[in-house]
Order: sequence, then structure tokens, then C-alpha cells
Amino acid sequence: MSAPLETVALGKRFRGRWALRDCTLRAPEQTVVGLTGPNGAGKSTLLSLAVGLLEPTEGTIRVLGRDPRRSADAIAEVGYVAQDAPLYRSFTVAETLEFARATNVRWDGALADELLGGLSRQTRVSALTPGERSRLALAVALGKRPGLVLLDEPFARLDPLAARAFLQVLMDGVAETGATVVIATRVVTDIERACERIVLLGEGGVRLDGTVEELLESHRLLTGVRRPLGRIRGVEEIVRARHSGRQLTLLVRTNGPVLDPTWTVEPIGLEELLLAYMATVELPTPRPPEPSRLRWHG
Amino acid sequence: MAWVIWRQHRLQLLAVGGLVLLVAVAAVATALPVRAAYHRQALSSCLPPALRPGCELIVGHFRSEFAARAAVARWLILLPGLAGVLIGAPLLAREFEHGTYRLAWTQGISRQRWLLSKTALLGLAVVAASLALAGVAMWWREPFDHVDGRMSPAAFDVEGIVVPAYALFALAVGILAGLVLRRTLAALSVAAAAFVAVRLGVEKLLRPRYLPPLHQVASGLSAPTRSRGWVLDNALVDTLGRKITTGREDLAVLHAQRASVDPQQYFSSLGWRRVITFQPPDRFWVFQGIEAAIFVALAAVVLLAAVALVRRRPA
Amino acid sequence: MEFHLDPRSGLPMYLQIVQQVKDALRLGLLDVGDQLPTVREVVAAIGINPNTVAKAYRELERDGLVVARPGRGTFVASSLGSPSVEHHDALRRGLLAWLREAQRAGIDEESIRALVSSTLREALDRRVA
Repeated sequence: MSAPLETVALGKRFRGRWALRDCTLRAPEQTVVGLTGPNGAGKSTLLSLAVGLLEPTEGTIRVLGRDPRRSADAIAEVGYVAQDAPLYRSFTVAETLEFARATNVRWDGALADELLGGLSRQTRVSALTPGERSRLALAVALGKRPGLVLLDEPFARLDPLAARAFLQVLMDGVAETGATVVIATRVVTDIERACERIVLLGEGGVRLDGTVEELLESHRLLTGVRRPLGRIRGVEEIVRARHSGRQLTLLVRTNGPVLDPTWTVEPIGLEELLLAYMATVELPTPRPPEPSRLRWHG
Repeated sequence: MAWVIWRQHRLQLLAVGGLVLLVAVAAVATALPVRAAYHRQALSSCLPPALRPGCELIVGHFRSEFAARAAVARWLILLPGLAGVLIGAPLLAREFEHGTYRLAWTQGISRQRWLLSKTALLGLAVVAASLALAGVAMWWREPFDHVDGRMSPAAFDVEGIVVPAYALFALAVGILAGLVLRRTLAALSVAAAAFVAVRLGVEKLLRPRYLPPLHQVASGLSAPTRSRGWVLDNALVDTLGRKITTGREDLAVLHAQRASVDPQQYFSSLGWRRVITFQPPDRFWVFQGIEAAIFVALAAVVLLAAVALVRRRPA
Repeated sequence: MEFHLDPRSGLPMYLQIVQQVKDALRLGLLDVGDQLPTVREVVAAIGINPNTVAKAYRELERDGLVVARPGRGTFVASSLGSPSVEHHDALRRGLLAWLREAQRAGIDEESIRALVSSTLREALDRRVA
């Protein structure tokens, strides 16, 4: 059984620069996956590849078991909200829904209506708040009753309150449709509420991939007196070491309990864990901004 | 999908419709005096083969009286190309500019089908509008065409079935330019320039050769003042059929005058003749058919390129 | 009942829900026959992944604390009136003795807390291991 989204050694190069490289991952059936990583890690590129807007330079990508560049049917079953939630600005809410109905074979108007709640149908898209606009884009994506939902930086333009509201609508839609969801985001604040799996992209591919529980279970903060670092029983990898004065704090990936009494062992929250990983990701040297039309190296 | 296309392009379509209406109203208003004069002066009795004395004067008067109007009507030549480019160029370029191609191309319709549906419907609208324009132009130019024929570009370019063919080609070029350049303004300019270049190229290089032109020989200094065909060339040739340059002609006239000889007689004595090369008026519909076919074929090729590109090109 | 999630706890969300239901049972806020909020109610209220709620409820069901009745909801099946309540007093006395000893040793409140929590974590890790 193939996963709704599956990539093998996927890579995409823009004019000599790799936006995504050696990316192998799968988003299993009916899970919500948080796709995260620093700017330029290739999150948006990956989603654009998944909806066939881009063609891979190397490797393969399969969406709902099919090649997105060859199969329009596969895209028809994917709900995609691109960065900045593009919609026709001159359309009203009602016209946007009519657009979605007219351009999709499968369209669940009742579900879209339900997700939109009390939003006035006669308002023009250009007059919507960022939160309302995101909500409309999401309703359009979920109204297709997709097997796979891809959201590109849905929280980027939203204030915390709107982000939380968006998440509620999304989760409600997920509960209704049972879709697999991939959320590309560098905002990790709310990621744990929504996501069961986390994939962290970095330069050179997938840096972290696992369920939230696995990640929380396998990482610990060790605090102790500053000392030369040797092997610590139960520690697989030291992700980050920080010292202040005589104290040393390690973020470690464990492969068993850390019983060494000279360390104080504490669990770590997901947000802090992800931020620590992102900080360790090697990034390419900064370069002048790309022309704005190539904005998918998000 | 038809609703979507109408909703997205209704402003342009309404503008084109309004333009056609405006032209029609202006045409009716300006044509009535022309038609009145045509009948008052009984111009039809001056048209070949029925020539009567004084015709030169009557026709000349009619021409000069309405020359300004006919000149203004020549601007109609711009409209089909303009309509095609104005609708074609933004079709894709605006989607790129606003990022909405990421919405449009990730719904349940493949982008080739999306492009083809749009092109088909908008093409239909553009064809309908330009047919209406051509109809108006033909009605308006009727008196002029009776006098001067409709083979020369002033009439040929705004009448008949070439008009929708031009519009269709302009639409296709606009679409392709929008796809390649992704900027409305740039696409508009490039498409307009390309359209004009091809249009003029065909008119100047190909159209004279659709069928071998006819020749008419007239002895004497000047050509017959009136021909209802499309005069391609009007040259003085010597006995061997070689063209005489205007420089030599002037020199010969000067030479005759010094010798107090009538230049026309002098030319005849040299065996010089005036040869008019022209396409006769009865080839109008044949030429229209050929030229329309050329532009429809060009439009099809450009469109196919656009469809292939939109399929292949990473967006 | 309402759930509150703490993203910094390091405890998976579904375990937080399990914990909160258990706490409510212990404190008598939930009783046998009470209905838990439906998955969609929880999702709508706190914007959390429905699978997480479902997983928490499955966990509770496996513990025999709740029972799912298809089409009707999830109901409390047994209470957590802890049988060990009578031990609490004895344990508390032992803890108090230990605390007094710590104070005599000059350890301040902060250090006591740190010591307790790290020892607790260690003990739990050892039990898991």
C-alpha cells in the first residue's frame, strides 16, 4: 500500500542552486504531518513538486500513488493551498466557491459551507482579513474532499488568534474527511496540536522524521557540571551543547534511559526541540534575493 | 467552466463588445452622408463598364469630399489585432503576476484543458466580435468599394473573413507571450509587435503573390487614374521590358521639353510603355480565403506551442 | 469537560488528555456513566488533531476506564477512586520526614524541587527501561 505522499531521493535545482535535495519521506495514510525546517530548506519546493507545478530534477515523487506531472486525476484529489493563499481578488466568497465547484469533478459544497461558517458570501476576496482569506482557501481545498491536503505556510500571515482559528477549521475538516495532511511551516508554535508526525528538512535532505511521541521520547535535556564530553550511556547523538559558567546543557537523542547520576535528565518540549534542530541545520551562504517570481524556496 | 471564463474575462469581453457597438454607431452616423452623396451624384453610372462623360470629375469630387472619413476608417485595421492581444496577453500573464496559477492549475482540470477551454471560448468571442466589425466595415465602405474596389489594403484589411483570422492570431500570440514572459505589460507589447510584424510581412511579401498578378499596358505618360484592382506596380518599361528608373524618366521628360516635343509622343517614339501590375478585383474572396487560412494556421501553430509549453514548463 | 494542553510539558498531547481524564476521575469530576466530549467537539474547541483525541480515548478504553458506544459517544465505565488512598497518609508522613532532613542539611526550596523532579523522572525512566 503506497502512502498518499511518497518521495525517493527527490531533488530540485533552480539555475544551479539546489532548492531541495535527497529528500526521501512518506506521509502515511490519515496522518497530519508537519513539514518544517529553516527558510530555504525546500518545504515549498517539495509541495510545488507534489502538485505538479514543478518537475523534479532528480528522484521520484508519488502523490496518491501517481506521478503528479503525468496525472491530472491525482491533482484533482489533492487540496493544495499555496503560499499566501492565492485567490482571485475580484471574486466574492460565493464566486470563489462557484469557481471551485466548476473546476472540480468532486465538490462537496456543504462541507465548504460548513467550514466557512458565518463568513459573508458577498464579500470580495480583496476585502477579507488574512484569517478569513486563509479560511476561504482552506474551504476550497477541503471542499474537493481530497485524499491529501498540502498547506504551504498557512500561518505565515496570520496573527496567533487567527492561526488558532485556522487550525480549528483545518482539524475539523480533517476529522470530517479523514485526509492526510502535510503542513509546511516554519512556525512551530502550534505544530504539536495539529501534527502527529514531524519531518524536518535541512540542507542535504531530511534531518528528522518521526511521530511526535517518538521525537519527544527519544530526546532529553541533560544538565550537569561542565566537563569534557565523552560517551554517555544511553545517548545516541548530541544535537546541541550549550554552556553557561560551569553548567553544561546538552540536547541529546537517546537510545535508552540515561542513568548517569551526574546528569539531571529532563524531557524537552517539541517546539524547543525543533528550534534546536533548525539552529543546527547547515544553511547555504546568503545570496541576493531571487526574482520574486521564484518564491518557492520557502 | 464557461461561467468561470465569463467571470474572469467579462470586463475584457464587455469592453470588446462595447467597442464594436461604438464602431457600429459611429459607422451609421458617418455613412449616411456618404451614401446620400453616392446616390445623389449617381455614381453608380460612372462605374465601369458604364462610363459617361464627366465621370472623372464626379468621382474625383466624391473622393476628395470623403477622403478624411475613409482615412479615419483605416484605423479599423487596428481593432481585431488589439482585441486579440488585449484578451490573449493577460490570460496567462495575469495568473502568473497574481500567483493565481497555483490555484487554477491545482484544481480538477488539467492545465492544458484549462488553457484550451479558455482559448476556445474567448476565441469564439473574439471571432464573433471581429466578424461584426468586418460586417460594419463592409457596409460602411460599400460606396467606396464600388468606386475603388476592395482589393487594396485599405479595404481588404478591414473586410471579409481575414478580420476574424487576424484577431484569432493576435489572441494566440498574446497567450503565448503571456506564458513565456509572465508579465502582462511585457506580453502585451511583445505580442503587439509580433502581430504587426507578421501582419505586415504577409501583406507586403505574400499577399501580392497569392496568384500571379495581371499586367495592363498603357501607352503614355501616366497610368489610368482609376483601377478597381490592387495596383502592385506601375512602371515605365522599354522595348525589352526593362524598367526605366524615375531618374531616367525625368531626364527623358526634360529632354523632350527642351526639344519642344510632347513627352508622351517622345516616349512612344522610344517604344516606352507604362505597365501596370495589379491583382484584379474579382480575386477578392480567393485572396481573403488564402490570407484567412494562413492566419488561422499560424494561430493554430502558436496555440499548439502554448499548450505544449504550458504542459511541459515548470510553473 | 475541557482539556488544556501544555506544549512545553514534553508529554505527548494524547497522554496529556489521558492524564486529564484520569485526574478528573480521581478528583470525582467525572463519574461512571458520564459522557466524554466527542472527538469533533474537542477538535472544534481546542484545534487539535482528531487522531490525537481518538488515540487518547483508545488508550483510556484499553485501561478499561471508558467505553465507546458506536454512534453515541464515549462514556466513563469505571471510576478511579484510588484504592491506595489509605496509603496516602503514611506516604505523606515519610515525605515530611525526608523534607525536614533536607532542610537540616541546608538545602533550599528550589534545590529540593529540582532534586525531587529529577529523581522522579529517573525513577520513571528506569521503570520504563
